[in-house]
Amino acid sequence: MTEQRTPYIGLKNITKVFGGNAALKDVSVEVYPGEVFCLLGDNGAGKSTLIKVLSGFHQPTSGIIRVEDRELEIKSPRDAAHLGISTVHQFGGTFPLMSLERSFFVGLEPTKGWGPFKVFDRKTAKEIVVREMQEMGITGVTDGGQLVGSLSGGERQVSAIARAVYFGAKVLVLDEPTAALGVKESAHVLRIIMEARNRGLAVVLVTHNVRHAMTVGDHFAILIRGEKTDDFHKGERTREEITDLMAGGEAMADLETELAELSGARTTYL
Amino acid sequence: MTRRPEFAAFIGLLFVVIFFGYFGWPVFTSTLVTASWLNVAAELGLIALPVSLVMIAGHLDLSVGSIMAAGAMTYAILTGHFGLPDYIGLPAGLAVGTFFGFLNGLIVTKTKVSSFIVTLSMMFGLRGLVFGITRLTTSTVLVPVEVSEMVRSTFGGRLYKTFENAIVLWVIMAIIVSWILYKTKYGNWVLALGGDKTFARAAGVPVERVTIGLFMGSGFGSALLGITQVALYGSAQVSAGQSYVFYSIIAVVVGGVLLTGGYGSPIGVIFGTLTFAIVSQGIYSTGWDSDWASLILGTLLLIAVISNNTFRQLALSAGDKVETKPTTSKEPAEIKVTQEATND
Amino acid sequence: MLHKKLNWWLVIAMLAGLLLSANTGFAKDAPGAGAKHVCAIGGADAFFAVVKNGADLAGSLVEAAGSKYTWIALPNYDNIGPDMVKLIEQAVALQCTTLAVPVWDGAAQAPALARATKADVKVFMYNSGLPLLENGTVKAYGYYGTDEYKAGVAAGEYFATHGSSNVRCVNTQPGAVNWQQRCGGLIKGATSKGAQAGEIILPAESFGDAAAISSAVQATLAKDPTIDGFATGSSADADAVNEALKVMGSKAQTGGWDVSVNIINRILDGKQLFAVDQQGWYQGWLAVSHAWLYDQFSILPADPVILTGPALITADNAETVLSGVEDGYR
Repeated sequence: MTEQRTPYIGLKNITKVFGGNAALKDVSVEVYPGEVFCLLGDNGAGKSTLIKVLSGFHQPTSGIIRVEDRELEIKSPRDAAHLGISTVHQFGGTFPLMSLERSFFVGLEPTKGWGPFKVFDRKTAKEIVVREMQEMGITGVTDGGQLVGSLSGGERQVSAIARAVYFGAKVLVLDEPTAALGVKESAHVLRIIMEARNRGLAVVLVTHNVRHAMTVGDHFAILIRGEKTDDFHKGERTREEITDLMAGGEAMADLETELAELSGARTTYL
Repeated sequence: MTRRPEFAAFIGLLFVVIFFGYFGWPVFTSTLVTASWLNVAAELGLIALPVSLVMIAGHLDLSVGSIMAAGAMTYAILTGHFGLPDYIGLPAGLAVGTFFGFLNGLIVTKTKVSSFIVTLSMMFGLRGLVFGITRLTTSTVLVPVEVSEMVRSTFGGRLYKTFENAIVLWVIMAIIVSWILYKTKYGNWVLALGGDKTFARAAGVPVERVTIGLFMGSGFGSALLGITQVALYGSAQVSAGQSYVFYSIIAVVVGGVLLTGGYGSPIGVIFGTLTFAIVSQGIYSTGWDSDWASLILGTLLLIAVISNNTFRQLALSAGDKVETKPTTSKEPAEIKVTQEATND
Repeated sequence: MLHKKLNWWLVIAMLAGLLLSANTGFAKDAPGAGAKHVCAIGGADAFFAVVKNGADLAGSLVEAAGSKYTWIALPNYDNIGPDMVKLIEQAVALQCTTLAVPVWDGAAQAPALARATKADVKVFMYNSGLPLLENGTVKAYGYYGTDEYKAGVAAGEYFATHGSSNVRCVNTQPGAVNWQQRCGGLIKGATSKGAQAGEIILPAESFGDAAAISSAVQATLAKDPTIDGFATGSSADADAVNEALKVMGSKAQTGGWDVSVNIINRILDGKQLFAVDQQGWYQGWLAVSHAWLYDQFSILPADPVILTGPALITADNAETVLSGVEDGYR
């Protein structure tokens, strides 16, 4: 975990103020390739704001952003995309009414032919989409023409991750990916996250679910009311300590139940 | 096949054909009656097709009627009143329509006001402008035009008996619009825009340019219909086109396009346009009292839209929505059932 | 699941309703082949509802005699030329043997009517277009109606000779040609008798919008309190204008080109000056009955033009008209 020392992205002393209210106060984080960085905190802690800064939706009020040791600004989502930062939102970030191959390739459609008669090569797109989805473990998808909305929530998350990986994202930012999913689907998504990490991506995982974070995370930070209150690596804190550190963390009883279900479901995925 | 958006629209079309074939027998199946609804469909289609792209992208264009009148009136005033040749008046009419479409797109993208409000304001404002200018230059509201032989035989001509050349124009436009949506990446952008504008922008779709282009398209289509009617009927009226605002939306929605955008197809819109035309003209063949015509029209259209909705729900559920999925195909069906039982 | 089921039940219910109503009296029995088919094209507003009453009564006699009768409705006046041409073509497609039609847009309708004549449809005109028959633009076997321009002139002259010196024409359909003729005629008639006249133009879609009409009239009065005459086109418009005058406390006189129970009562009470009646019911009746007479027996009146108006209804003769209006004959 400590081989790479140059972070791909470094946020230093980031402050973001919205109309007199500081959503982020002097937050510094570093994101390394091949590492899952978990951003923990309860609702309203500032996690969403921080990743919006990362993905170009907001510009910080003050602070420095470094990408591969160059200081620059991320002025728009397009900028972020060019830098290889791919954000996957809670509800899949896809287009539910479009077919898989259309949704997968929006903005980056493969084309055939030339001039004004350039055709969107949907046949190739369908083949690629099915292949990528299958590689990510969604074997139920065999027809790229299926509508995105017919996939389950977890499958949609995975397809969004597959898209980011396919288009060469360097940083994968996931905003509460398991919050709307059941136990078994969450497990699948977490596995895919580890798959992405193993392929060398830097993963930023935003969650308020300590259990899930501990399953995949290498490096953790806790945000409380806009400030970073703790920064540690895997193994340095116990689950109870983390829960205590996060004000309003999950009740122990819920954790126990999920633990039992998760260890039971693990075996069916082998 | 059933999950394609065109399918429900096709069923709707089949239904009205059978309906009027039965109640309108025998006159409904005659050549002249067929021409009457095909003409209506072609003229409406010139507006409905570009409007369908606008609506798939998640916008509305309520100004199509006013733009149609503006295009028609420009042509009529320049050629009919001032006596300029057709090759100046006709392109001017098309240019005026495209320009106001451009204005619509510009205001929508720059001000972030909803297209409903922007095009609604354009509807009133442009109508007033057309009225004012027409009164100022011609002091009437209906301007007759001596259309040149060339224009009359192309835009205003008849293919065979009463079948209008406008049908050919419609077919050409249908091919172009279908090509754009099915075959090009721009079509994908239009769908993405309607699905989620923010995600589309994040994915790299040039949202502003596409939006302006779409409104220019519906402006062009409206003006095209306007000048075609001048060529066909020899006059332009200031108040023309108001009904097309609703008719175009009906044709597009019956054709399977979601009112909120992100879903739909030009082939479906063609079916929807034909369905509307048959319903509005088929009533004459039945001999039913015209007092009830609007009620029948409304009821049939409601049936068409509901059946559309039902088929779209089917399309959306075409995949397996159960959360657990066996990862190997070796698992027999019984296990799946028990898994479902314990899951709820 | 429930949602889908409900959808389908709704569809089936509506279908059943349609089929039921179709079988219980909307459909008319088709007469034998070679029988005559009298068709009439008309509008769908309040005025034409009365016209249709006359046409329908004549139509029922036509059907009793073994021929077919169809009334084809024009839904609105937004795009008269193209819409009328389509309806004329529809009539030919429906195998009408005679067609009675108002001519509002000569440039568009004349060629279509010529084509209909070539297809062996006998053309009659009613309600509008007399000048076009007189100058030969349209060829028809007869004309039954008034002239919108002449009706406008009659109104203007009556205003001017009965105490109004500043008259306004309340135009609620500024794009439509019949309105243009009316208001144009009013201004001509009023100014020829020494009064001032002008037009109030409302936004294109305010036909039937009482609130818009009322506020426009109030605003106009506020700007120019010397206006002492308002002319309106439909009975609904007249009601709205009266409301405005009450609110402003104005003593302006009103008159119009439509007839209704409210209007007749106002004339009898002295609150409305006059109504110009073109006797729409009579137009519908004449158009259908004469078309059939010619079609069946080649009978035509000696003078092909029968004028049904303008007929002025004032306090003198309003009483006699009242019962006819109440029953939908005027």
